[in-house]
Amino acid sequence: MAFSLKRKYDDLEQEISGLPVGSYSQLVFKKFLKHKLACLGAVVLITLIIFTFFGPLFVETAYDDMDFSAIFAPPLSENHFLGTDEIGHDVFVRIMYGGRISLLVGIVSSVVSTIIGLIIGLISGFLGGIWDELLMRFVDVMLSIPLFPVLLILSLVFGSGVFSIIMVLTVFGWMRVTRLVRGMTLSLRESEYVMASKTMGQNQVMIILKHILPNVIPIVIVTTTLNLSYAILSESSLSYLGLGIQPPMPSWGNMLQGSMSYILGTSTGHNPWWLTFFPGFLIFITVLNVNFLGDGLRDALDPKFVSES
Amino acid sequence: MKSYFFKRTLELVPIFFVISIIIFMLLNAMPGDPLLQMRMDNPRAFAQDPERLAELREYYHLDDPLIVKYFDWLKNILIGDLGFSSQYKIPVSELIFSRLPNTLLLTVTAWIIGIVLALPIGIYAAVKKYSVFDYSTTVFAFVGISLPSFWFALMAIILFGVILQWLPISGLETYGVTGFWNVFLDRFRHLIMPAIVLGFIQVAFWVRYIRAALLEVLDQDYIRTAYAKGANERRVIIRHALRNAMIPIITIIALDIPYFFGGALIVETVFAWPGMGRLMYNAVLASDYNLAINCLMFLAIITLLSNLLADVLYVVVDPRIKLDERKRG
Repeated sequence: MAFSLKRKYDDLEQEISGLPVGSYSQLVFKKFLKHKLACLGAVVLITLIIFTFFGPLFVETAYDDMDFSAIFAPPLSENHFLGTDEIGHDVFVRIMYGGRISLLVGIVSSVVSTIIGLIIGLISGFLGGIWDELLMRFVDVMLSIPLFPVLLILSLVFGSGVFSIIMVLTVFGWMRVTRLVRGMTLSLRESEYVMASKTMGQNQVMIILKHILPNVIPIVIVTTTLNLSYAILSESSLSYLGLGIQPPMPSWGNMLQGSMSYILGTSTGHNPWWLTFFPGFLIFITVLNVNFLGDGLRDALDPKFVSES
Repeated sequence: MKSYFFKRTLELVPIFFVISIIIFMLLNAMPGDPLLQMRMDNPRAFAQDPERLAELREYYHLDDPLIVKYFDWLKNILIGDLGFSSQYKIPVSELIFSRLPNTLLLTVTAWIIGIVLALPIGIYAAVKKYSVFDYSTTVFAFVGISLPSFWFALMAIILFGVILQWLPISGLETYGVTGFWNVFLDRFRHLIMPAIVLGFIQVAFWVRYIRAALLEVLDQDYIRTAYAKGANERRVIIRHALRNAMIPIITIIALDIPYFFGGALIVETVFAWPGMGRLMYNAVLASDYNLAINCLMFLAIITLLSNLLADVLYVVVDPRIKLDERKRG
């Protein structure tokens, strides 16, 4: 009873002072809902994930089933919603399966690389001194290496399975997160409450986990979305260049690669534009909505927002 | 200023060495045999004489320890000897210098397209903050950032090259065109699509950046003072706001030079443009070791130099930093 009364009182006080009401996560959620494009992004992405991960369960055609009665069938033809390719693969089904791979590679590699970046950034910022200097020089070096050619070579070195593509994208995806987190940690380390817990004899790991980590989490979430859009684009570029996911397993990138042979038209003179259009359009839509989502999250998670609104 | 430039250049030296080690390790981890091309070109000679292979391995120092190979390579690139390409059978330096102008033509054109489009759009969006124009610029920027360049290129080829047949779809020039103006026009028509595709994506990044940089400046007190003193909007924006906003903008544009080379790899591959990016892509695929490692190192050096350029430009265009330097020195 006393507790809820106190809550009421706090709410009242906040209302009078004109500040938004609610817990931190409620406020973040409210702010996020105000961002129309970000809501659109979230809805589209959830739809895409459901579509690609559960869609294949509801269709009988597999990604490598061939329908020889319908070769180069245009979109909206019978049985083939988005048409077929040169050996009668159903484009719609392959887009579902391909999306599974593309999204999986993107999500796993961006999350893993962000976590690696977070850990290195925390260590570098908190330890400071020679370790910080060494790690930051290493980040400088990694950032000066031309990324895309190196990805090409790495995917040759590691081979081209799903796992190795994830590894390749992770190895070169953590540096920006590290820089950001390290910068924040450096300033947080000097803050009064960290000083206070140091003087109280709190051990260093606990200080990092309890006092520094929660403060860098918002910015890390935003960076994860940026990394995600980047990872999806890189995977599709690699697969497009023939070094990523290998056919017959489809990914949005290698479907585009497959369509390259018919870009000038088939031997019968038709132009199967749908082979090129749909996979690329899905990459575009996915990345676009990830970016919308990231923008909304940045707005919502910005710690300055309470005083501004 | 001079001492700052000198200091920054010196700092590049250790980074250069670490990068060279990483690139060397990467290339040595690459599967494939440098002699493969040779064996494929001349299978019979190798079949008849099995010892020849061992001799050649000895001759090219293929079985030396990695560390010896590294220092050999480093010594050679420092004296400018980049070795032979196993794929093209000509010196690598010759290949790089024959392809570099094509890449420069493409990237510089794209760069100019990028700046010419991004500057006015970004400035106008900042000045008319929260207008319809501003919102559509934001959406446009999101679209540009999210476009996969190869898909954009392919769709452009299908639309303008195949369906409408306005522009040639690949290569640098049409064979057999003569006469100065015809050649010029032909080159130009080949250049348009790749350059626009490469430039367009950069426009999206820059527009947002320019808008943000200008908005920050427009908030400053001295802008309000300038308005209060009765200066008209045009003058305030060009003389007062833009001059200050240009400092971060110039830096970011210089920092983006390597992205053009990286992006050029994909665009060059799609449009079969004979430039550095495509050269390197083919070298990697064909395990043309000498060519791949030196192209990669070349790109790394360009990246380092453009970082240096960005740092130096930052000091040059911002008089406040220079003053600081003078005080200290």
